[in-house]
Amino acid sequence: MTRRSFILAAAAAVLFSAVPIAARADVPVHVRVIKGSRRGPKQVDPRLDALRRQLSALAYVNWQETQERRVTLVKGRTEFVQLPDGDMAGITLQEERGTIATIEVALASRNTQSRLTIEKGQRIVHQVTGERDGAAFFLTIAVWP
Amino acid sequence: MEADDLALVERARAGERDAFRALVVRFQRKVYAVALGIVKDPDLAWDVAQETFVRVHRGLGDFKGDSAFSTWLFRIATHLSIDAVRRERSARKEDVDEVRESDLEDGGEGILATPLGTDPRQNALRRELGEKIEEALATLPEKHRTILVLRELEGLSYEELAERLGIHKGTVMSRLFHARKKMQAALREYAGIRGDADRDGEDET
Amino acid sequence: MTKKDCVRFAPMIGAREGELSEVEARALAAHLAMCRRCQELAARFARTDGLVAEALLARANARDFAPFVDQVMDRIGTGAPQGARSGRGLLGWVGRHWKGTLSVTAPALAALAVFMYVHFGGPGQVASLEISSQGVSTVLQTSDGPVVLLPPEEHPS
Ligand SMILES: [Zn+2]
Repeated sequence: MTRRSFILAAAAAVLFSAVPIAARADVPVHVRVIKGSRRGPKQVDPRLDALRRQLSALAYVNWQETQERRVTLVKGRTEFVQLPDGDMAGITLQEERGTIATIEVALASRNTQSRLTIEKGQRIVHQVTGERDGAAFFLTIAVWP
Repeated sequence: MEADDLALVERARAGERDAFRALVVRFQRKVYAVALGIVKDPDLAWDVAQETFVRVHRGLGDFKGDSAFSTWLFRIATHLSIDAVRRERSARKEDVDEVRESDLEDGGEGILATPLGTDPRQNALRRELGEKIEEALATLPEKHRTILVLRELEGLSYEELAERLGIHKGTVMSRLFHARKKMQAALREYAGIRGDADRDGEDET
Repeated sequence: MTKKDCVRFAPMIGAREGELSEVEARALAAHLAMCRRCQELAARFARTDGLVAEALLARANARDFAPFVDQVMDRIGTGAPQGARSGRGLLGWVGRHWKGTLSVTAPALAALAVFMYVHFGGPGQVASLEISSQGVSTVLQTSDGPVVLLPPEEHPS
């Protein structure tokens, strides 16, 4: 690369830095599948301590973690999580701005998509299966864990 | 996502109220945000957003699907918002769109480099200042608020802005330039940083 | 470089890819490479880019939208759903859309009832609650992040 073309490239980079952040956006996330039951001892898996307040809003009393994964979300690439009922959840980064991320959670067989915006320190808690025998599975996503 | 919208539009057109409800729920906040950016007043923005959906419902039969549903929806929202402002606005001197040499002078906004830096650690500051954005935006003339809101919130391109606002692409660019300059000046005000180079209104005729 | 060039190029700053013709883009890049003033302008614009959208969406998200859709539907009229007497907003919606399928959806209703309790009686932890009849049904906004409840399945397999 010649000096002049390098300067032009750098100038173009300054110019297009006003574009909604595209290429460099990646967001590490901590994804967990958890099971909530209406019956059983009133208990929250110690690994889910940080989620207590959110979970307490629900009618389930017993919470256990069943799956856990750490992935880095990149715009335009959907990460899939296999769910206990055979369904598939797709997680896609829609937008990232500073410490705020918008994430889409899609459930294949139910044809649902939700776009949720959270910031560092917050978590998405998303029901991913219907309720069977008083229990349902949820997906939780923490950004920049 | 858009295919999904069209499916809902089809069902709403066939008289399924729940399908229309779903469309309202899907877009209500963003329509409200666009209206709020343009009309400033939260209650007026609420009314404009409601009226938008009422008009959309009324016009469902005419919606051809040439453009995305959301484009059509936000076009209606924009025009209703602008109408609402113009109805309320007292006769006021219009700003020119042309960019002149004097417009390029640094009004001291450079100082924003500090509180708005891209360093992630400064994001708290960025957000704090972000809370002042709405107030700053409200100080801009209607046409500058509108173009900034459409550009940033709806993400419209120059071409789309030209079409939406019925102006030339060149005017889009210079109007956006003025809007950004004014926004920076207003932000500086709200950030409590008073430069000595206050030259606002330099682009008024 | 002359000041006249800046007047020409400054409005191009902030263009997105593809919005300028190739000739314009190249001329702008060349000007930017040499013009400190326009570089600073570009950097300043980039720094505040997106703030307006962020602020307005934050305001919209902070507002309670529960009554919005009912008000719209009321205005649209024509065969307004029954049950409007139970009030606008959340309660009205729940009344119209959930009672009919009570037998199938009892567990979900129970969970919803808890939500509502939190919403109306909670100590300010919950910012808002919104319900859609399509796809994802219930989003509870808490200070720790959103909680999303699925709608009950219509045909449990
Ligand atoms: Zn220049």
